[in-house]
Amino acid sequence: MISSKYAGPAVFARKISKRFGKLQVLKNLDIKIPNATTYCLLGPNGSGKTTFIRAIVGLIGLDGGDLRVFGEPVKGVAGLYSRIGYMTQHKALYPDLTLQENLEFFAGLYGIRGLAARKRIDELLDMVDLKPHRGRLAGDLSGGMYQRLSLACTLIHEPELLLLDEPTVGVDPRLRQTFWDYFNRLTSQGATILITTHLMDEAERCRLVGYMRDGRLEAQGSPDELKSLAGLKPDLQLWMQDESASYSAASLLADHGFSARVEEGAVRVELASESQAAEVLRLVKPLDLRMHEPTLSQAFLKLGEADR
Amino acid sequence: MISWDRVLVVALRVVRQLKRDRRTIGMITLAPVFLMVLFGYALSGEMSGVRLGIVDVGADGEVRDHLTSVKDFEILHLGSESDAEKMISEGRLSGAVVMGKTFMRVLLDASSPQVAGLITSEAGAALQKAGDAKENTREGLLLSPASPGSYMEMEQQILPARPVMEIRYVYGYDLEMMDSVGPAVLGLVVFFFTFLMAAISFLRERTLGTLEKFMVSPLTRLEMIAGYLAGFSLFSLIQSATTLLVVIFVFGVPMRGSVLTAFLVILLLGGAALTLGSLLSNFARSEFQVVQFIPVVILPQTVLSGVWWPVQSIPASVRPISYLLPLTYSSDALRQVMLKGASIGDIIYPDLAFLAGFFIITLAAAIAMLNRKVG
Repeated sequence: MISSKYAGPAVFARKISKRFGKLQVLKNLDIKIPNATTYCLLGPNGSGKTTFIRAIVGLIGLDGGDLRVFGEPVKGVAGLYSRIGYMTQHKALYPDLTLQENLEFFAGLYGIRGLAARKRIDELLDMVDLKPHRGRLAGDLSGGMYQRLSLACTLIHEPELLLLDEPTVGVDPRLRQTFWDYFNRLTSQGATILITTHLMDEAERCRLVGYMRDGRLEAQGSPDELKSLAGLKPDLQLWMQDESASYSAASLLADHGFSARVEEGAVRVELASESQAAEVLRLVKPLDLRMHEPTLSQAFLKLGEADR
Repeated sequence: MISWDRVLVVALRVVRQLKRDRRTIGMITLAPVFLMVLFGYALSGEMSGVRLGIVDVGADGEVRDHLTSVKDFEILHLGSESDAEKMISEGRLSGAVVMGKTFMRVLLDASSPQVAGLITSEAGAALQKAGDAKENTREGLLLSPASPGSYMEMEQQILPARPVMEIRYVYGYDLEMMDSVGPAVLGLVVFFFTFLMAAISFLRERTLGTLEKFMVSPLTRLEMIAGYLAGFSLFSLIQSATTLLVVIFVFGVPMRGSVLTAFLVILLLGGAALTLGSLLSNFARSEFQVVQFIPVVILPQTVLSGVWWPVQSIPASVRPISYLLPLTYSSDALRQVMLKGASIGDIIYPDLAFLAGFFIITLAAAIAMLNRKVG
């Protein structure tokens, strides 16, 4: 049972900076990751996401700023390693050991042995759907299976803070759902999960999303907050009898203060909120309609454009 | 504070991985045996099938009888000295002896000093046997097929009365080449295989990303290396046990000291090889680059550490390097234990002290490098 002893933010970064030679990778980065939440760090390649994660676990030293993990300055993070689970992009495993042996090895490093180890290994193999393959060599697994085993090894000691660098690459959608159910269970038990990903639908599942660019945090909030920050609104697509009816409808809606245009034979109406849909339908009677929610991807594209 | 539980977990993993790698197991156990057998025969110092021409122009019977009785020679009786010269130039003879009543001329092919040495010494022995050295003069004519026509002539007066040489071995044993080389080669194979395996294993930890994962776990760097030491030591012991069996029972090299003392030396040397391998793996990016360490790390040790010939025969200008190489000390220690029956106390200084010092320094450097490389 995971429950963090620390009530403050699991990770707290204030004006942290890191330079590799001439390249300034982190530029006065401020991030606060609350306890017991899923936090997704999004951003283009080279934006500093992995550097930030490596700084959290003390693998790289910072040039300046204050970085704390469970309230402890990062210098003392080694004392917290038994509470942290770190999954690198390398999927660190031994291909010449079986799945069971890999899990036994990582369990042993955290002092989990005997019956407790067997129970935990069974539970994790179930979760990642690899139980029938426990005797196979890890090197014989497919890319997705390898990924799942790597995640299982990272979770072996029930860490309070999980740092997952692109954990679901190559994992099919059905299993990804299982992962997210498991992650949600972990956060409900008090764990904090920090994930980096390129997949927007993954980010949508997180309670908080941070958008990093060029070593800085450009935006942070819940997925809905970020969409409204980018000025994105839901829109309604209406199909009328013919083209002239479409133009008439668009003109009528414009007269009533809506932003409406004809696009690909249909009328598109921007809504300030979903509740405005009823008002639109009172004014026009379409043959068919569809509501479009803005995506996080659109939000980041918009935020990116604003930066430029 | 070191956790022996975690050391054991790493050691168990190393053993599991190696156990599964059958080819490496075969290499570890059989390659040293193969090398020893190879070295054993190549270095036995015995020659056979040396084709020697004899041109007899009225020689003393005893001289001729001695030469024909030497079993290393295949004797060919020739009519003239010029025939002998021609056949040596063509490579059909290794040498020839022209024997007259009052002289003996030895014609040699200088391209093989060992063969030339055998012919010269047997010719000398034949003369001494004849007991008529006073009157005789031996002339040596060296022929080199590589430079036909430019023969180097050498004349040597044989002293009228030769002193009788008596040989006495201090520890009562007529050592053959293998007896001296065997114990040292034992150290060489353990060092060679442990170094290579360690360098490749640590490189793999880095490329697989497991090293980075360890750095974010309760496992310390010392525990990690200690785990490797424990796991590899098991294989070093198997390797040295099989090699020792061949050295002792196939080549008859004596084991006058304690086997346990020999194993202690081997374990200490294996430890030094492992930490050196771990340290140097930081400078390799691939297995191919690890193999490139062989001429840089292994070869100088095989040449300069007194495995094949004594350190004293290495030029004084290069010798200081010999005294910095762990194999110099393991070779000496293993020879002392096996041939002289030395105990631990006899080899503590300088052999065990140096090996322990080398191990501790490379261990500290390996741990520091692990830190730096990941950071």
